[in-house]
Amino acid sequence: MLSNISKNLRTCTGYLHKYCSTSVAAIENKSNAIEPRTLAFPPKYQDPRQIWLESLDTIDQRKLALLELHPAVFAASPRIDVIQQNVRWQQLYRYVSYAHTKNKFEVRGGGRKPWPQKGLGKARHGSIRSPLWRGGGVIHGPRSPTPHFYMLPFPKRLIGLTSMLSVKFAQDDLHIVDSLELPTDEPGYIEELVKSRLWGPSVLFINLEDIMPRNITVATEQVKHINLMPAYGLNVYSMLKHNTLVLTRAALDHIENKLLENLHMNDPKAVLAKFKVDQC
Amino acid sequence: MSNTTEKALNLLRYLPRVCISNIRDNPGAHKQARRGRGQHGGDYHGAGNKGAKARQSYTRLGYEMGNNPFYLRFPFEPYYKGHHLKRQYPPVSLLNLQKLIDTNRIDTTKPIDLVAIMNTGLFRLYPDQQHFGFQLTDEGADIFSAKINLEIQWTSEPVIAAIERAGGFVTTAYYDAQSLHAMINTKKFFERGIPIPRRMMPPPDAIEYYSNPANRGYLSDPEKISKERLVLAQKYGYTLPKLDDQILEMLKERKDPRQIFYGLHPGWVVNLTDKVILKPLDEELKEYYAS
Repeated sequence: MLSNISKNLRTCTGYLHKYCSTSVAAIENKSNAIEPRTLAFPPKYQDPRQIWLESLDTIDQRKLALLELHPAVFAASPRIDVIQQNVRWQQLYRYVSYAHTKNKFEVRGGGRKPWPQKGLGKARHGSIRSPLWRGGGVIHGPRSPTPHFYMLPFPKRLIGLTSMLSVKFAQDDLHIVDSLELPTDEPGYIEELVKSRLWGPSVLFINLEDIMPRNITVATEQVKHINLMPAYGLNVYSMLKHNTLVLTRAALDHIENKLLENLHMNDPKAVLAKFKVDQC
Repeated sequence: MSNTTEKALNLLRYLPRVCISNIRDNPGAHKQARRGRGQHGGDYHGAGNKGAKARQSYTRLGYEMGNNPFYLRFPFEPYYKGHHLKRQYPPVSLLNLQKLIDTNRIDTTKPIDLVAIMNTGLFRLYPDQQHFGFQLTDEGADIFSAKINLEIQWTSEPVIAAIERAGGFVTTAYYDAQSLHAMINTKKFFERGIPIPRRMMPPPDAIEYYSNPANRGYLSDPEKISKERLVLAQKYGYTLPKLDDQILEMLKERKDPRQIFYGLHPGWVVNLTDKVILKPLDEELKEYYAS
């Protein structure tokens, strides 16, 4: 296994040149204690991708082990168009337009014919609130409330997530940590950590459960650009909003398994039936 | 993974970070909606301009402008009589069945019946549309090689020959609509908590088919079926394979004419939550559900 890791390390040096400050010996000492990942639905035609397992205990990056990632989730085709469709859907499905205009009959007044039909040499009019008049009603104006709810098809939501994770991984914006435990609850620590590791200003931390460790909750409470999210809340828009995505190992297992399960769904028709919009 | 994916992922390493400001849909993926003038977008609603078509005032179906219409020209068409009540058997081919077996969707170490076929999740059956089960068709008969104990609702002679040549057994069995409802989604049926119904006897016009040993009918005499197996083997020119003792018991397993599920008898209630089976004790009930 050690020879395997050092072989992998050689292949990864090109990928991870900016993080290679830690010595290989330190990694190998540690890696004995950490169990390698077993991939569900083992990939037949692609090699698993590899990523460092890191830790948040120190400001400087400390590599604990190399983990394998399933290529169907983390090296999927980066469908930028599907990512965009997901973002549009996430922005629109909750958006209700409250823009409102009054039509001819809702504008106050105008019930009386302003002047006789004939004999005045003036244009014929039936109401002073006609849309032709200044201060009259509006034709085909926006009406409130206009919901913009729609559902993106399930496979597109799935492809959106795998594409986004693949993009994050390909651009070195994905990191795996053993847990979200911090040694201190000072906001300075996490900000310094993010800065020194070049994680960009905004970071999204994903935990398996929605009850996060105390220190990171306190430390990031006032920092607007460092956010915490449970694994069930993972979505394309949030991943796109943040420069870096940090998953705990447990969250990684959960997310990968769940996506693989849905990618390999045996009978999607039966499972997706309840999400059909027009139930009959 | 395709080479394209590899290239795209590699390219992404040299591109700026993907973010909300630099993503877009494929060009031409969406057609911009035309802002038509008027109440309904200034359109004819796909009906075109003027005439009967624009007004959707078509002549009624079958009307021939003063001629005696075709559908009235002949006094009656007996071959359509009761067509809406005829039993339907949607097809499943031997090729399908072989593929299901090869892809491990069907377990051949157990008898295969409608429940096993439905549990693959690839077929749909609608008893309310007069579907009375599946018919096994002969497509793929020459490559069929699985040794199975199959129960199907309708089949033909070449299919029977193909299965028996491979060393299997086939039975044709009738299920009424209520039994089919229980078999189509077994879990859903058991969750209802009602006793398993007893299977009804076939209607008069189907009794002949299901009691004919040449069709391997479930109501026919087993000894006559054995004889018919030999007859068919001679007709198609194959010898019946010698049967293994290990799987013989499985291959010989048959349902009672009143039984719906293998191993479960009518009148029993399957409780999925407590994982228990409740059997009737009352004499009257026992008599009712007896074969």
